Amino acid sequence: MCILMKKISSIFIVDDDPITVFGIRKMLKPVALCDDVQIFQNGKEALDALIQRKDEGGDIPEVIFLDINMPIMDGWDFLEEIMTLNLNEKIIINMITSSIDPLDYQKWNEAKVKCPHILNFKNKPIFKIEPSDLECIHLAS
Amino acid sequence: MKAVERIAQHYLLKQLPTATALVGVDGILIDASDSWLHTFGLCPKDALGVSVYRLFKNYNADCGKSLKQCLGKSTTHTCKFSKREGSSVSWYENTFTPWYDEKENLIGSIIQTHNITEEILKEKELDRMIKLLKTKSEVAKVGYWEFDLITEELFWCEETKKIHEVPPSYIPNTNEAIEFFKQGYDRNRISMLFHQALSQKAPYSEKVVIITPNGKEKWVKAMGKPIVENGVVVKMFGTLQDIHDQVLVEMQTKENQQLLTTLIDNIPLNIFIKDIDSKKILVNKAECEYLEKSPEELIGKTDFDLYDEEIAKISREEDLEVMRSLKPMIGKETMSIRKDGETTYFLTSKIPLLDLDGKVNGLIGISMDISGLKKKEDQLRDLINVTSLQNKKLINFAHIVSHNLRSHSANFSMLLEFLAKEEDEAEKERIVSMLSNASDNLMETLEDLNQIIDINTNVNLEKEALNLHQNINRVQNNLSAFLGKHQAEIQNNVPKNLEVQSVPAYLDSIILNLMTNAAKYKSPDRKPIIRINASKHEKTTIFSFSDNGLGIDLEKYGGKIFGMYKTFHNNKEARGLGLYVIKNQIEAMGGSITVSSEVDKGTTFNVYFNEEDQ
Repeated sequence: MCILMKKISSIFIVDDDPITVFGIRKMLKPVALCDDVQIFQNGKEALDALIQRKDEGGDIPEVIFLDINMPIMDGWDFLEEIMTLNLNEKIIINMITSSIDPLDYQKWNEAKVKCPHILNFKNKPIFKIEPSDLECIHLAS
Repeated sequence: MKAVERIAQHYLLKQLPTATALVGVDGILIDASDSWLHTFGLCPKDALGVSVYRLFKNYNADCGKSLKQCLGKSTTHTCKFSKREGSSVSWYENTFTPWYDEKENLIGSIIQTHNITEEILKEKELDRMIKLLKTKSEVAKVGYWEFDLITEELFWCEETKKIHEVPPSYIPNTNEAIEFFKQGYDRNRISMLFHQALSQKAPYSEKVVIITPNGKEKWVKAMGKPIVENGVVVKMFGTLQDIHDQVLVEMQTKENQQLLTTLIDNIPLNIFIKDIDSKKILVNKAECEYLEKSPEELIGKTDFDLYDEEIAKISREEDLEVMRSLKPMIGKETMSIRKDGETTYFLTSKIPLLDLDGKVNGLIGISMDISGLKKKEDQLRDLINVTSLQNKKLINFAHIVSHNLRSHSANFSMLLEFLAKEEDEAEKERIVSMLSNASDNLMETLEDLNQIIDINTNVNLEKEALNLHQNINRVQNNLSAFLGKHQAEIQNNVPKNLEVQSVPAYLDSIILNLMTNAAKYKSPDRKPIIRINASKHEKTTIFSFSDNGLGIDLEKYGGKIFGMYKTFHNNKEARGLGLYVIKNQIEAMGGSITVSSEVDKGTTFNVYFNEEDQ
């Protein structure tokens, strides 16, 4: 059990739905060891926190769980914004949505190419956090 | 003494101006005047003793015979002969008169020779003229007649008889002549004209019908002219022309023309003929009615006189192309804008018009008014646009539905999965309470969706004329507690008598949502002031709501402001439904809504009520 646990310095959960946030936290517990899990209601709050951490030399989150449909700043706008921050660290960003709009999937495909970070697309419902959601898996190794 | 007398006599004869000669009974020349000798080309010194019989042989043998008869019967005879002098011919006439001595014994003949060339020529000319007149009469089929009022004799020329189809031997009289004219109009007309010509000395010319002895009807042109002497009509002269074939052709042409005119005028197409300068030279009834002008007003006009300049230019270019290429332009869709601004759509054809030599001298235009069709086409296109818009909205709505319902069902699945695996009782309870939460959320979402569906399905809700000012006041009263909490000031500047066409419940919802939004998104630094205005226009009423609140960055959020579940401020009361609902309501009533805003200054919403259709 302990062997599967992954040590992660910092995780952001960006979602306005408290049930989803509860679910993600619950599913993270058995697979990740992290003392710094922060919750944000929308993209704007998460972005502000990220910028603050960058400016103050704090930990940049290793993993972000990102909802697409949120008020004020949605997931797509948040992605656009962090691309302009020119972070050195590669963040694993798991986009979580209940949308089955093909347009959202297409948008993700386009963003994946442009984005310097690792973009995963996860359709709800989620029952389990996969190892690939937490670290970069090198298929070659 | 005798000799003197003889010489004197000789001299007398020699000098006679009329060519005269004396011959003996044997035909030997005894004496002659110089002029006579000259006529026959003789010299005076060797003329005497010459036989005139021999002399005449050179000209005309008949002259000898005449002289013989004169000498034989002692009677006067004449004989003509001609003499060639270079290229011209001269005519002479010899008169042989018996010559007697004192005792009345015939001693010879006196010959007088007259130059009658001029008379002969005149006679020939007259003969030629008569022949010419006859030929002309025959060729032109024009006969003439003459009526002598004194002798009451009627004369018809050969051609006149031919036209009447009577033999040349026919002798006309006035009674019979008048009966040739067809009984009824023709005969009465001619009788009247003839009598008028006599009484008023007036010439006449008339096309009438005669009937020949074979019963054949024939069109003739009858002309008559009174000949007046000393103020009295003494003669009537007239002509008669056979114009039967001509009249028939004319009638045929008239019939064809009548047919063509009837056809052109009554065909439900605009037809016009233009000359090479694009001036109208023929227009039919439909074209006149379209342009609301008489044919006289249109003839000679160009398109520049009748239509908008741009349109006229295009039309002239088409004309030139058709006349240049000689290729007809068939069924082209054209647009005409009359001077009064009326627009009509046509299906126009232009066909080059050639003269008899095959040279282009204009064009024929045929236009069919397709405005009705065009209007239907536009309506159809509008309908397609509306449908495709509806379709888009429907797809959008389907995605919203799928997204919202799926997000709840996904939560259910996830929580149920947790519940099944959970052993800790306290945690189990927590999950159950979350499930009940999720269920409430689902109910709320379903209600929202129902509301939207209601708006979009009840598109035929009855609109009523509603007083805007009063409705604003009513909503304001209902919201007084809420507005009081926000310390909001409402300035209702809507004219008291202004009415809008709206579904009552929708107007309520529109005012309520805009008013609460304006109060909710107030600036923390200012007391909210909401200004409400309205103005009536031809087809729409513009209803505007201005606040001095937070404002919104339209560059960032402009595309989403009327979207479902879109909120832009950290406001706990915001659910992102209000604007989406009223947009749907306004559009369902055929109107529209726009927004303008400046961050930290305020926001203005403009609602356009459609006043056109009920």
